[in-house]
Amino acid sequence: MASKYGRTARSSAFQWFAHRITGTFLIFLLITHFWVQHYDRTTASISHSVVTADEAEAGVLPRYSEEAAEAVRAFEARDAAPATPDAPRVVPAQIGDPEGDAPGPTHPPGEVAGPTPYEVLMLRLGDPVYAVLWKGFNLLFLAFALHHGFYGLNNVLTDYIRNDMARVGATALSWTLALVLFVVGAYSVIVAGL
Amino acid sequence: MAVAADRTSVASRPVQRYKLRVGMFAWILHRLTGLALVGYLVLHVWGLKAITNPEAYNALITSYHAPIFKVGEFLLLGAVIYHALNGLRIVLIDFVGWSPNQKRLFWTLGAVAAVLFAVGGYPSIAALVDHLNG
Repeated sequence: MASKYGRTARSSAFQWFAHRITGTFLIFLLITHFWVQHYDRTTASISHSVVTADEAEAGVLPRYSEEAAEAVRAFEARDAAPATPDAPRVVPAQIGDPEGDAPGPTHPPGEVAGPTPYEVLMLRLGDPVYAVLWKGFNLLFLAFALHHGFYGLNNVLTDYIRNDMARVGATALSWTLALVLFVVGAYSVIVAGL
Repeated sequence: MAVAADRTSVASRPVQRYKLRVGMFAWILHRLTGLALVGYLVLHVWGLKAITNPEAYNALITSYHAPIFKVGEFLLLGAVIYHALNGLRIVLIDFVGWSPNQKRLFWTLGAVAAVLFAVGGYPSIAALVDHLNG
């Protein structure tokens, strides 16, 4: 059936329905995402410290809470020999410091070096039990966000691009970008921590 | 045909004009925040390729802590809250048939949004204020 947007026989009713479903799901996925990134005492850092470009240049990393440092120590201790009061566990060299001498300047001098962002991330993505759940969460989040975002983008493109060829081109290009992002994102999430 | 005549007259206008009522305002803002969020999503997913490399990931996350990103986070939160709550309003209108209440719903969700914005945005702004005060 010809629609006013061109000759197409396909109804977009399912897409329209899916857009509302993915949107509703995204609210719950986003709440979890925000909680982990910004409010959970063990993993949150994003909002809680400022690192200027100069400090980043000098090797300063974002600060995490004592709970985060504790969780990273416990996580790393599972692989190493259990620490005893007589023989405290040797702290491994900082990531990105192949020489393994002094720990990298993750904090201004005089402060105890805290966990790196990657170590905190591995609490979730490197965990032998929960990594599968977190990776599943991230993949679902990625697929829903990309479908919702690019379907919405295409609604806008369809409304404003009045040349048929340009509209088909923009649609093809945008969904190709979405597919590339899904492959790149899914690969990153699956490979992380393996 | 009426439709064809309509299309040419619309196409001859350089910029699409909309009447600003609550519903239309909500719709325009929904589009603008939606477009902003798609743009952000692309950068975010592309940047997070660094997740497979510890050094690249640490550098990426550190760069996300730059002062300008505190402002960006605050704006992002605003866009997300608006888009999510107005989206919820659309779903309630479409699926539950709340269209007679849609204006009241808009202002009610507006109040909820203001609270979420204040509570959720506080850490970003507090960190920025701390930084600016030395």
